[in-house]
Amino acid sequence: MSKASKIPVLEVKNLVKKFKDFTAVDDISFDVKEGEILGFLGPNGAGKSTTINCILGVIEPDDGKIKMFAKDISQNRSEIMKKVNYCSAEYNVAWNLKVYEALFFYCCLYEVENANARIERILDQMEANEFKNKFLRDLSFGQRARISLCKSLLNDPKLLLLDEPMASMDPDMVDKGIRLLKRIQKENKISILYTSHNMWEIEQIADKVVFVNNGKIAAQGTPLDLTRRHFLADTDEPNLREVFIKLSRSEDEHI
Amino acid sequence: MNISRIYAIVLRHFFLAIHQFERITDIFLFPVLALVLWGFLSSFVQFQTPSLANFLLGGMILWVIFERVGSNVGVDFMFDVWERNLMNVLASPIKLPEYITGLVIVSLLKVLISFLAMWFVATVFFGFAINLYGISLAAFWVNLVFFAVVLGIFNVSIVMRFGNTIGPLTWILPFAIQPFAAVFYPVAVLPIFIQKIVWFLPISHVFEGMRFTFTTGRFQSLEFLAALGLNLVYFVIVIGFFTYIFNLVKRKGSLAKL
Repeated sequence: MSKASKIPVLEVKNLVKKFKDFTAVDDISFDVKEGEILGFLGPNGAGKSTTINCILGVIEPDDGKIKMFAKDISQNRSEIMKKVNYCSAEYNVAWNLKVYEALFFYCCLYEVENANARIERILDQMEANEFKNKFLRDLSFGQRARISLCKSLLNDPKLLLLDEPMASMDPDMVDKGIRLLKRIQKENKISILYTSHNMWEIEQIADKVVFVNNGKIAAQGTPLDLTRRHFLADTDEPNLREVFIKLSRSEDEHI
Repeated sequence: MNISRIYAIVLRHFFLAIHQFERITDIFLFPVLALVLWGFLSSFVQFQTPSLANFLLGGMILWVIFERVGSNVGVDFMFDVWERNLMNVLASPIKLPEYITGLVIVSLLKVLISFLAMWFVATVFFGFAINLYGISLAAFWVNLVFFAVVLGIFNVSIVMRFGNTIGPLTWILPFAIQPFAAVFYPVAVLPIFIQKIVWFLPISHVFEGMRFTFTTGRFQSLEFLAALGLNLVYFVIVIGFFTYIFNLVKRKGSLAKL
């Protein structure tokens, strides 16, 4: 686990988002401190992606405040997003371009200096240099997910929003990806908001976990705290899988 | 406006074009084939009515410029939707006006290449020297491209609102305007009640002005100013519409689902 400071890089306060009669996000508040990795968990349709999209500014919340680096996202989006990056297995990185071209395109979007060197370095770190001159469309799901992760590191972000980034990677690459993220996070004090349905990933990487269900925060704490509170009181090993199952099935248990 | 981010959008479409043969042929082949067709027709009518030949070929070149710019802005936007790449772009620091400006520049660069190809074929093979009309015609082109950009922004707005399924409209819309735009015939041949409507189209003034220039060699400032004034009005309206749609899709959450 990383050593997080007390300065919040991301603050979400009383966030509410409704789609007609359906409340996707219901008064959620949490923060991610400098150098902290927050596991953002919940069953499908719990409101995780809606929350992330609100943070990215592509969905407008009905209520609540989102601040990054102490600045309101609704007022300073472009300036803030230079220090933020995003990766989701759901979206492609320029499908019909070669890997190098796609990454160069994103370097220009993020105004990355020494783009060539940066691309080489990130591809090396992710062991993806062999794909450099291949079209993204010709790569496997897992390989594309690695390139998406490379894209998210191009601008040396201070806050990473990772929405199931390793969903289609093989266990070896997941392990390498987790190690790389932890190393980069430690070196650069990156803060990470990380969603995944792979509880092992979260146990490996997260300092703190926020569990959402039906748009509300159902539980939050360290992986071990949550395990002790919701599964085995006297254990020394986190078991988020059991916590996940228990919290997903209990609708009434809110903190 | 950030130049680097606008450049990024242009660069992305340049990379796309060099890898996709059909995109390159779309820039060269379609306009040149259309020109050859209308070139032969113009050659045929030139013996009877030389000015009609100019109207047809000149109208055709200007029409292709309008249709290309108008549809390309929307089509290039849809490329990011088709490739599921839009979310990654929108999650970057880019501002939507920068993104749209990038798409418009891409479209203008493509149409410049199309125009040069058509100009070459028209001059060399059909003896149609469009450059003879100089600045008079160029002034109308500015208005033509201006309205095409307005149409392109409208296309992007409706794709944002209704998604991919509305995509074919991007191609159809310029052709829906064509009968009323008086591209190949004067406005006077249209029924009276339609004439009243078409004067609200900047493009009708452009083609009327073009025909006047072809006939007299002079510049008709009234048509030019009418087209410019209408373009400014439509530009303000389409920017308002685009902003409204952008805020609407952000509220509805559909932008993230494109």
